[in-house]
Amino acid sequence: MTLKYLLPLSIGALLASSSVFAKDKLTISVYSFAQDAYKEALYDPFEEICDCELVIETGNSVERMAKIEANAANPVIDMAVMSSHDALALARKGLLQKLDTSKLASFNDLYDAAKDPIGDNMAVGYTFYASSIVYRSDLVDIKSWGDLLQPAVAGRVALPNITGTQGPLTLHMLSQALGHEGIDFTDTINAIGEKADDIVTFYVRSSQLAQLMQQEEVIAAPVGRFAWSRFSGSDLPFKWAEPAEGQTGGMNVMLMTKGNGNEELAYKLMDYWLSAEVQTRVANAKIDSPANSKVEVSADIADSLTYGADLINSLNMISPDDIIDNRDSWVEQWNSNVIQ
Amino acid sequence: MAILLSEAFKVGGEWSLAGYADFISKPLNRTVFFRTLKLGALVVLVSAVVGYAAAFCIVNLEPAKRGRMFGLIILPLMISPVARTYAWIVILGRTGIVNNTLVGLGISDTPIRFLFTETAVFLGLLQLFMPLMIIALISSMENMPKDAIAAARVLGANWFQVFTRVILPLTREGLVLGGTLVFTGALTAYITPAILGGSKVLMLETLLYQRVNVSNDYVSAGIIATILIVMSFGANVVLRRLAKA
Repeated sequence: MTLKYLLPLSIGALLASSSVFAKDKLTISVYSFAQDAYKEALYDPFEEICDCELVIETGNSVERMAKIEANAANPVIDMAVMSSHDALALARKGLLQKLDTSKLASFNDLYDAAKDPIGDNMAVGYTFYASSIVYRSDLVDIKSWGDLLQPAVAGRVALPNITGTQGPLTLHMLSQALGHEGIDFTDTINAIGEKADDIVTFYVRSSQLAQLMQQEEVIAAPVGRFAWSRFSGSDLPFKWAEPAEGQTGGMNVMLMTKGNGNEELAYKLMDYWLSAEVQTRVANAKIDSPANSKVEVSADIADSLTYGADLINSLNMISPDDIIDNRDSWVEQWNSNVIQ
Repeated sequence: MAILLSEAFKVGGEWSLAGYADFISKPLNRTVFFRTLKLGALVVLVSAVVGYAAAFCIVNLEPAKRGRMFGLIILPLMISPVARTYAWIVILGRTGIVNNTLVGLGISDTPIRFLFTETAVFLGLLQLFMPLMIIALISSMENMPKDAIAAARVLGANWFQVFTRVILPLTREGLVLGGTLVFTGALTAYITPAILGGSKVLMLETLLYQRVNVSNDYVSAGIIATILIVMSFGANVVLRRLAKA
């Protein structure tokens, strides 16, 4: 056989083999947090079950949302996980498709709050997180969110920046502690602005806060429960506050992009992720708290998570609609009265 | 880059400067602009003062010692800015060496808060970029006529006159080069202001990051990028004029 025939035949065989053996691909967009643990608990087992390939895209929420929006006509992301308010922002732009919950076998096992968190079945919750105040129990006693602005912690307290997820939650609870109702945070932002010099920093990442608290620069700060393990294992006496106004919190959700053409595989992954089996595995790895009410974990694991119906139902959350409708105004007020 | 920057001159698809007017009208943006300018200028000034003294000493060393000193000057440039900046967090913290010394010597009763202040950002930027000024000035001083200073002294000039009338004019190019490098570096550094200043001491570059990665506001980001470019070129022009004056 001459080279003239051999070359086209080889290319043909190569193309044929690649198309025959190519696996279905599902592209998902997730937080960059704990990806090694997620690979072990979710991605690898799922790829074995579905005989498909997962393409994982990570990044911060703004980048991931921008990518979904920029490729709306021809989605490059099939399924994504986001905070409930970011998901609502995408839904309002018509970028998501309604979920057929009958394709999610564990749907009825989810806590009620996770079943339709942004309305119209555009998303389904897969994890909750409580937020409260971590403090040094040997130096200060925190009994209220209002204690964050008291002289006892002046110069040694940190607050989350308004641009992060924890920012609006902290404003929400501080507002209640200062006797205000609703989601008009003007007075609360002004109160923080007056005390800005007493606040060490407005942190962006919980890892940054953990370092500052280990270094004894900060002795009290609001933080999500997902970061509690950074403090609970420390030699320093950190304590999780149970303020009089209660704990706040939030939820992350799964969503599917509109017209992605890969719905069947996306439903398979969502169904698997929400199953008690995977949610237990993820919980035991202390990655995310379960949204499936059938998940059972040990007391030690539960202590690191936002676990159980009583706790989840007690969380003082802000609705995603309120966050989306007011966030720009909060940021504007924050920039004018606090960051200045 | 031109396409990205041009976005800052468009409002609703029409060419306009309204984006700039809106940007400047916000007090936060003005504060951040003047803070960036102030810290950049201060880093150049202190770098120049320390740089001249350091360069003069190094140039007058024996060749072997000069090589070793030069190595020490460029050593920090070989270390990651992240590592260098995190070192400042430890040094300037409540339990860091600076506060321990101040409290130990009785200069202060309680630890002073340095972190997340303009002082911390200034120190971080100074350490980051001063080597560039020293290198530029060493290079200029090495090209000075060997006997120029001695001649000036013999003719009765005091050390201030030697510096202003001999050294400064002859090392002008090095000062302009070093000043431009230091100022541009201080303007565009992200890691140091982000870690040591955080959101309490926003600089233009940290504000730029916030506009892109938090607010998804590419118009403001384009405006900030344009301002940074103009400031860099402006610094070069101003330094040249100052050096000629």
